[in-house]
Amino acid sequence: MMSDVRRQRRLEQTVIFLGLLALSLIWLTPFATVVLSAIRGQGDLLARGVFSLPKKIAWGNFAEAWSTGDFSIYFRNSLLLIAMKVPLGIFIAALAAYPLAKLRFRFSGAIFIFFLAGLAVPVQVTLQPLLVMMKQLGIANSLFALVPPYVAFGLPFQIFVLRGFFRLIPSELLEAARLDGASEWTAFLRVMLPLSVPALATLCIIDVLATWNEFLIALVLISAKESRTVPVGLLQFQGEYSSQYTLLMAGILISIVPVIAIFIFLQRYFVAGLTAGAVKG
Amino acid sequence: MSEITLGARRPVIVRRRRWRIPGAAIPYLFLAPATLWYAAFLVYPMLQSLYVSFFDWDGLSPSMTFVGLENYINIFAVDDVARLALWNNILWTLGALVLPTLFGLLLALALNRRAPASTLFRTIFYSPAVLPLVAVGLIWAWMYNPHFGVVNVTLKAVGLRSWANGWLSDYTMALPATFVTFIWSHVGFPMIFYLAGLQAISKEYYEAATIDGANAFQRFRHVTMPGLAETHVIVLSLAVINGFKVFDLVYTMTYGGPGRSTQVLGTWMYFQTFQYYHAGYGSALAWVIAAIVLVIAIPYIRRMSRG
Repeated sequence: MMSDVRRQRRLEQTVIFLGLLALSLIWLTPFATVVLSAIRGQGDLLARGVFSLPKKIAWGNFAEAWSTGDFSIYFRNSLLLIAMKVPLGIFIAALAAYPLAKLRFRFSGAIFIFFLAGLAVPVQVTLQPLLVMMKQLGIANSLFALVPPYVAFGLPFQIFVLRGFFRLIPSELLEAARLDGASEWTAFLRVMLPLSVPALATLCIIDVLATWNEFLIALVLISAKESRTVPVGLLQFQGEYSSQYTLLMAGILISIVPVIAIFIFLQRYFVAGLTAGAVKG
Repeated sequence: MSEITLGARRPVIVRRRRWRIPGAAIPYLFLAPATLWYAAFLVYPMLQSLYVSFFDWDGLSPSMTFVGLENYINIFAVDDVARLALWNNILWTLGALVLPTLFGLLLALALNRRAPASTLFRTIFYSPAVLPLVAVGLIWAWMYNPHFGVVNVTLKAVGLRSWANGWLSDYTMALPATFVTFIWSHVGFPMIFYLAGLQAISKEYYEAATIDGANAFQRFRHVTMPGLAETHVIVLSLAVINGFKVFDLVYTMTYGGPGRSTQVLGTWMYFQTFQYYHAGYGSALAWVIAAIVLVIAIPYIRRMSRG
């Protein structure tokens, strides 16, 4: 009786495992396609097909894509943008999340909902006025034009996650600092922030990826080549070399390697942050 | 590094406040930077766009002509492409509600047991979600290439030559083909949400149900599904919200074509505003998206504001 149940369970597990294995092979196919297309000559690819192994590995594709596609400009821009946007956005989100989590004041509920509603605002509904605004500020077409909307659209999620995290920090710790004469500012800076490093780090990772990937705002606000970010630059590259498949795939691989590396090494923090607050813990 | 050491050595108590801020103002001072930023660069442009949507305007010239609700009337009564785009959004959203959600739930159920390599599987199924959608679109456009792409090559190899198709250049197949890419790239979201939801369900409920003689299906029906109620709200809301916001994949894979067959509201708004210089009409399209999404998001926002 018992062994029957056990045998059935083992059979069930084997079936599930094989199903997952088959599905994961399908899920990996696009990645394999890019790699197998990027590391060979165009003639080899077209004559022998994607699924064949390359005759000779053409590492030169990557160098060629990097230089003809001007990826050094796009990488520099995306990295600069991340350096400006991520710390600034998360810091002012933390500032806002602190009173929402730990202080009592009028309208706190309404203010929180005011920010949360931003989770549902489509970027499209701000694009045209943002373009006008950036022109008036004289920063249209520069990387600086992206910082204001990127920070604004990041705030709802970041405030939501940080408020949830801050609430888990015992208020006694803040109370102790206040009794020692610390101002609210000092309590925030010296007690709350150091204790929230895990949440802040998670948000940083998520935000780095989101900033690296963002396309629509960058497409609208930036047309000058010197200010393009990686997604806009990659699309431009595709427009110019659309039939040079091997070169194009090398360019795509170049632009996704950073996010894949971040994801693989830091996914533990990343995934936990995305579902934060979605489930009653 | 030296800064950090310095800061840590200085005791907190010694720092004296030179001036006092009235206690009641403190929360608002903390909130001020985020509120001002959010108001200036999200709320204000949004309202400005609402204002513009009542005008006939090219987005550049100083002259704007007030036209009242005409732009909105045109969307629903005159512009065939806008109605097609809305219909495509509805189809896309219905698809997004069912397919990735169901796959995500099944994957989560399969991966929630202590199966071998479940962390690796989780990584594989989630990994497309971290890629820039522009790259995803270009990768799949290559896979859908009529002559050399993986999809047609595979179909021919397994004897389904007649199924081979132009995919993205085919009027009926372009949208479904783009949607398949969406499933590939987005299935990770419902999966991780459901995994988190499953892990929050207490094992005791399952034990109790088993003792009461419930079979696997009954346990799923009466323990798992009610336990996931909150997760369903999140996952389904996000599916609708993102279904109406869709832009990147359509823009990079089909550019709204062939013809205008794959236009969605997000891309049509972009074309109208920034390619055809109909800023007023484009803003009205943007507000149709915003209105739909904001209304549908109400239960989601309420759920998020609790707890």
